[in-house]
Amino acid sequence: MTTPFGCMGIAQIKAGLAAKEFSAAEVAKGTFARIAAVDETVHSFLETTEQMAAEAAARVDAAIAEGTFGEMGLLAGVPVAFKDNMNLLGTRTTCSSRMLENYVSPYTATCVENCLQAGCLPIGKLNMDEFAFGSSTETSAFGPTRNPWDLERVPGGSSGGSAAAVAAGLVCATLGSDTGGSIRQPGAFCGVVGVKPTYGTVSRYGVVAFGSSLDQVGPFARSVEDAALMMNVLAGRDPLDCTSQPCSADFTAVLAEGVRGMRIGVVPEFMEAEGLTAEVREGVAAAVEQLRQLGAEIVEVDLPHARAAMSAYYVLGPCEAFSNLARFDSVRYGYCDPGHTDLGSQYEASRAVGFGAEAKRRIMLGSYLLSAGVYDKYYYPAQQVRTLITQDYKRAYEQVDCILSPVAPRTAFKFGEIGDPTEMYLSDMFTISINIAGNGGMSVPVGLGSQTNLPVGVQLISPWFKDANMLQVAAALETVYGKAPVAPAFAEGGEA
Amino acid sequence: MKTLEEVFETWEAVIGLEIHAELTTLNTKMFCGCKLEFGAEPNTHTCPVCLGLPGALPVPNRAAIESIVLAGLATNCDIEKHSMFYRKNYMYPDMAKNFQTTQGPIAFCMRGHLELDVDGPAAKERYQLDKLAPGEASGNITRTEDGYVAHVGITRIHMEEDAGKMVHIGGGEGRIAGAKESLVDYNRAGTPLIELVTEPDLRTPEEARLFMQKLRQIYLAIGISDCSMEEGSLRCDGNVSLRRRGTTAFGTKTELKNMNSFKNLHDGLAYEICRQAQVLEEGGVIYQETRHWDPSAKRTIVMRVKETADDYRLFPEPDLAPYDLSDEFIERVRAKLPELPDQKAARYGATFGLSAYDARHLVDNRATADFFDECMALVAAEADGSKFAKPLANLIINDVTAYLNAKPEVELSATPLTPARAVELIRLVAGESISSKQAKQVFAAILEEDKDPEAIVEEKGMKQVSDTGAIEAVVDEVLAANPDKVAQYRDGKTGLMGFFVGQCMKAMRGQGNPKVINDLLASKLA
Amino acid sequence: MAEHVSETDVRGIAEYARIGLTAEEVVTMTADLNAIIDSLAPITEYDLEGVEPTFHPIGDLVNVMREDVEVPGFTQAVALENAPKQEDGSFLIPSILGEGGDR
Repeated sequence: MTTPFGCMGIAQIKAGLAAKEFSAAEVAKGTFARIAAVDETVHSFLETTEQMAAEAAARVDAAIAEGTFGEMGLLAGVPVAFKDNMNLLGTRTTCSSRMLENYVSPYTATCVENCLQAGCLPIGKLNMDEFAFGSSTETSAFGPTRNPWDLERVPGGSSGGSAAAVAAGLVCATLGSDTGGSIRQPGAFCGVVGVKPTYGTVSRYGVVAFGSSLDQVGPFARSVEDAALMMNVLAGRDPLDCTSQPCSADFTAVLAEGVRGMRIGVVPEFMEAEGLTAEVREGVAAAVEQLRQLGAEIVEVDLPHARAAMSAYYVLGPCEAFSNLARFDSVRYGYCDPGHTDLGSQYEASRAVGFGAEAKRRIMLGSYLLSAGVYDKYYYPAQQVRTLITQDYKRAYEQVDCILSPVAPRTAFKFGEIGDPTEMYLSDMFTISINIAGNGGMSVPVGLGSQTNLPVGVQLISPWFKDANMLQVAAALETVYGKAPVAPAFAEGGEA
Repeated sequence: MKTLEEVFETWEAVIGLEIHAELTTLNTKMFCGCKLEFGAEPNTHTCPVCLGLPGALPVPNRAAIESIVLAGLATNCDIEKHSMFYRKNYMYPDMAKNFQTTQGPIAFCMRGHLELDVDGPAAKERYQLDKLAPGEASGNITRTEDGYVAHVGITRIHMEEDAGKMVHIGGGEGRIAGAKESLVDYNRAGTPLIELVTEPDLRTPEEARLFMQKLRQIYLAIGISDCSMEEGSLRCDGNVSLRRRGTTAFGTKTELKNMNSFKNLHDGLAYEICRQAQVLEEGGVIYQETRHWDPSAKRTIVMRVKETADDYRLFPEPDLAPYDLSDEFIERVRAKLPELPDQKAARYGATFGLSAYDARHLVDNRATADFFDECMALVAAEADGSKFAKPLANLIINDVTAYLNAKPEVELSATPLTPARAVELIRLVAGESISSKQAKQVFAAILEEDKDPEAIVEEKGMKQVSDTGAIEAVVDEVLAANPDKVAQYRDGKTGLMGFFVGQCMKAMRGQGNPKVINDLLASKLA
Repeated sequence: MAEHVSETDVRGIAEYARIGLTAEEVVTMTADLNAIIDSLAPITEYDLEGVEPTFHPIGDLVNVMREDVEVPGFTQAVALENAPKQEDGSFLIPSILGEGGDR
């Protein structure tokens, strides 16, 4: 049996197309066939877009026939799928919520548009925690996504579908969004590369907002090179997003340079954190040792305020979410509870039915935290703490080019294993401060845990707009650990 | 209920205004590129941003920021270089995002003021104004010859966005009360809106009305809005409270809405002041509430009682970058400031010797001020060109204004009355070719027949006869025909002069120069 | 666990946020919120005197604006495409009498 397209990398697909080993139409068809065969168990996709992919494939095949394939974009003929909080004209954008179950996008998000412009084959929309509130994809109104490494376990979240689809070899690249760890943590749980760029690198226009000052879009892939290529497609100033900045670069340029002479920071406080499992600590420590052997200088750095990041996050995130989710009111779109004769009861019933428990909790929390008197106690100090955390990172980057830490305190947990919301929030203890400060962060797999035999990831953290630094370190780690494999059960020769 | 005058014997009214102006002269909305257009088919000027679709993000319109800075400069405000947008969170169906993007504690424009000329009947509402001598100051006012000048503080002008429009069906006349359902149209949603908030410096409904008028003149002069109170592009809410004369603590205020004309603004405030006085004098209490002025019933009715202060969960808008306006930006806007009405009025006084009253009324309306300027430009080269100013001012303030008031749909610049014709008309009167009475007929004829004044005078045979010989013959005839009245006049019944003049005029079919007739009669009857 | 919010508070917050909660949900929501608010304590433990807040990450981005140029938007049909209820080119909603807001 030949390698499924979803198990190939970007370069392999493009080379095959260029050599006419297969056509883009075949790539599309094969990809959908595999999704149909395999995704019933994983449940990473909420919707597939056969028609759009066929049209895109036809354009690619025409270019191949005309000999202009080389002039097409970076993703010409490459299947890409999108987290379901990203608008794509004509598709349903549900955010995995009953609230938007029937909402059909009348426009396309800039990040999606950039992929389309680069010639990708749009494959579909991916499952997530409802409105990105969660760390396990269990809060999806349409059922959870399963971790391809162990179907009894969660893929992480909120971009669980995006990570699982790549880990299961359904597609080679997907987009996710990360507000507190929603790309990096599922990346670690599913053993794939997940990049949260510096805030402002990728346009947020058309991505349903959770925490506007925290959200950032980024790619999942099974190799650092593919992730960097995706970054080339995604990064850049968008006139439709005031917070996006001009930061186009060739993120692949430095991948082969190695880490010799690079200064890489480790945070002792993170390595000694309560709740960090031994196997993750060992995995991360081993990765540090590998980097030292590759010639990097390992420097201990101090992030004294990072321990307040979690609290700041659970103030700022819910406050912004409360306001961002106010628009779901049953008037212009979204779930409308039938039979009400006054708007007030229609509002309350529609939002009661349309939103799941976690969404309600965050909205309620935000509404409380912004109320008169309370604002000064939590919201304003949280923004001051943000200043302190940001300064911590700035100071650290005077000493180092990149910081390394665990992604999540443990490997993927089982469904239902964590029920208490505050305990669930600890999943993001190492990732949250990066969203607070706005830096780039990514997870890269470094083998399997000694206890659970599940993927362990390390987090690499870049200074503002120096996302190439972490990609450079990740590429070096990849030379040691190899590219992220497709989860064994879904790989060639696997049962699926 | 007592009259306003009676109420003011005991009570002092404290009035503050909140004035919203849509920046209708811009092309597009505040945060998206949708077209600004009044009266379009519903929901035809929308996009992801102004419909509040999930994922949409705002991008501010540079021209709107320039407009508000211009408004601030024109109203003596400090321009704050550092400000930001905030989200004001509350759910209401005409607001697509269910938060309004507005400004926080620091607005683009802070701490401004306007000087308000209050004179004539408007000044009479001010309590015990006659206790002040001209030039004497008391509180925020200074007495003038025929009224007073009030210094009215402007707290701030901030930038925000308008909401959509709702039509209520099933209730009476599109009103919300009794409506079963409502239709929402988001064409207006996101229209750039500036809100000016005054200090509580106003004391009479006339002052409030004049403030609103003056602000409208300024906004029209700087061209940021069409300021149509009828179409809602200029809207005013009033905060009113009463306190006993001689006390300083503020009373409980009510907020008054729906004052969609200058008259309604005045009458609504006047009613509310009298209503509050009655409640207080009967031992009642004023509740902090929003009231609606009903012009047909001539009363205010409760819309909403505010039990607690509104809590709008205001927080800085994370989707919009903060502002750090450069000096260069501010100076570039300042360079766009035209001559403002006050400056224009001062120039009319200094250059043409017009009275403050005439000057102010000329600048009341940008069209009449422009017309006056154009007329004066035509005679500027003449040695005594400025002698045209006073008669032109009279013509514009009286005849032209009356004509425009009678035909509000007509633009002065589109009428047959060109500046050249107005100057010619004045020249005919000044040269005693026609009487001022005839001038009124010529004025009407210009507008009706679209002809030059001289042609009209020619056609109608209106030329005034000033020839003393010809007039003397008529005077002699009249005196000869009325010997008894001549005798009575000489006995002291001097009121008969009018009769003689009238007879002479009649004999000359109205074309005799009244001054010559008067002089001749006086000398012959002496 | 400290009581930061009471069930009455929670009902008030829900009313403002326009989320209908059942009596049971009020109970669990109150417990959940109090637990979460407890966990926010660290940010109240710093001396923040004189520390500027960071409302906008990546700080020196200022004055981002667009030119006043029209961009084509939606047709009426597209604008209303996702409307739960519509009539005469407008979004249709039930009676709004008694709704809040500063109108």
